[in-house]
Amino acid sequence: MKNLWKVILLVGVVTILALFALGLENDPRNIPSPLVGRPASPFSVSALDDGPPVTLESYRGRWLLVNFWGSWCISCRSEHRYLMKLARMTADRRDFAMIGVDFKDTREGGKEFLASLGDPGYRQAFDPDQKIAIDWGVYGAPETYLVDPAGIIRHKQVGPLYEGWFEKVALPIMEKKP
Amino acid sequence: MSIHRLFLTWAVISCVFSWSVPLGAVETLEEPTEATVRDIAKSLRCAVCQNQSVYESNSDLAKDMLSVIRTKVAAGEQEGAIRDYFFQRYGDYIYLEPTTQGGNGLLWGGPFFALLLGGIALFSALKKWRRRETPVGKNPSVDTATDTFQNRLKNEMKQID
Repeated sequence: MKNLWKVILLVGVVTILALFALGLENDPRNIPSPLVGRPASPFSVSALDDGPPVTLESYRGRWLLVNFWGSWCISCRSEHRYLMKLARMTADRRDFAMIGVDFKDTREGGKEFLASLGDPGYRQAFDPDQKIAIDWGVYGAPETYLVDPAGIIRHKQVGPLYEGWFEKVALPIMEKKP
Repeated sequence: MSIHRLFLTWAVISCVFSWSVPLGAVETLEEPTEATVRDIAKSLRCAVCQNQSVYESNSDLAKDMLSVIRTKVAAGEQEGAIRDYFFQRYGDYIYLEPTTQGGNGLLWGGPFFALLLGGIALFSALKKWRRRETPVGKNPSVDTATDTFQNRLKNEMKQID
């Protein structure tokens, strides 16, 4: 009986310490999205460049990378170079497309951002009151979603995309579920 | 009544009246739906400021979430449906007070379970300590020893007598 209590106490203390140690490794800002595996919320909004509206539905049948950004976001600046490269790299792929959602921004701010850092060439949706961003469960910028050809969200990347992200994260998901 | 007292009474009365009649106050009525908006916004966590509700937070995201809530309430959506809308997108992190469903039940029940376990441990320890203490007074060997000693004492006293 005496030993039983000792074991219970030991297990209890070890469990609490293990949970604590695991918790230290976690980033409190990196909250898993419940949207992964669910259909992406459709939208059709005005484009940043005053062109025809950007519609999610029109990308059905292809893998789609949806990048949420804003000219006010510092990390988006550092990420932009990779987005430009990724757009160039995947330009020949018929099964893959990219769009940006400039949210909580002014039209001028967004346009200036692209003018100074370069236009990656894909379409940019304009979401000044972050209606799409909230509908997509966005916390901050940059956040990127990978949507499959059927319109199901397969991955959410919180924070900037990095060199080699496409090969390391996106491709394995895309090849697993064509 | 002296002038002094009269003045004092006048001062007290004017004071009371000036407090009870706020001059220039305009009665404003809150939108009837605003109470619902407030209830929902107070129960949701502002996603970027960790421990503030959407209603209290001044962040841009919280303000826009508040406007989404307001639009939905105005459109006649139910309170539960609006809460669920945010839950579907942000997970249970969005609730300031965690739900008791699923794994969260463990978190809610854990402390009570630990308390119960501690209570049982304390109870059994106390019982054990008492058991160890009680025999000391009534220890048969000690009693015998005392008896033998007293008998011997009695005998020796008798011999002396």
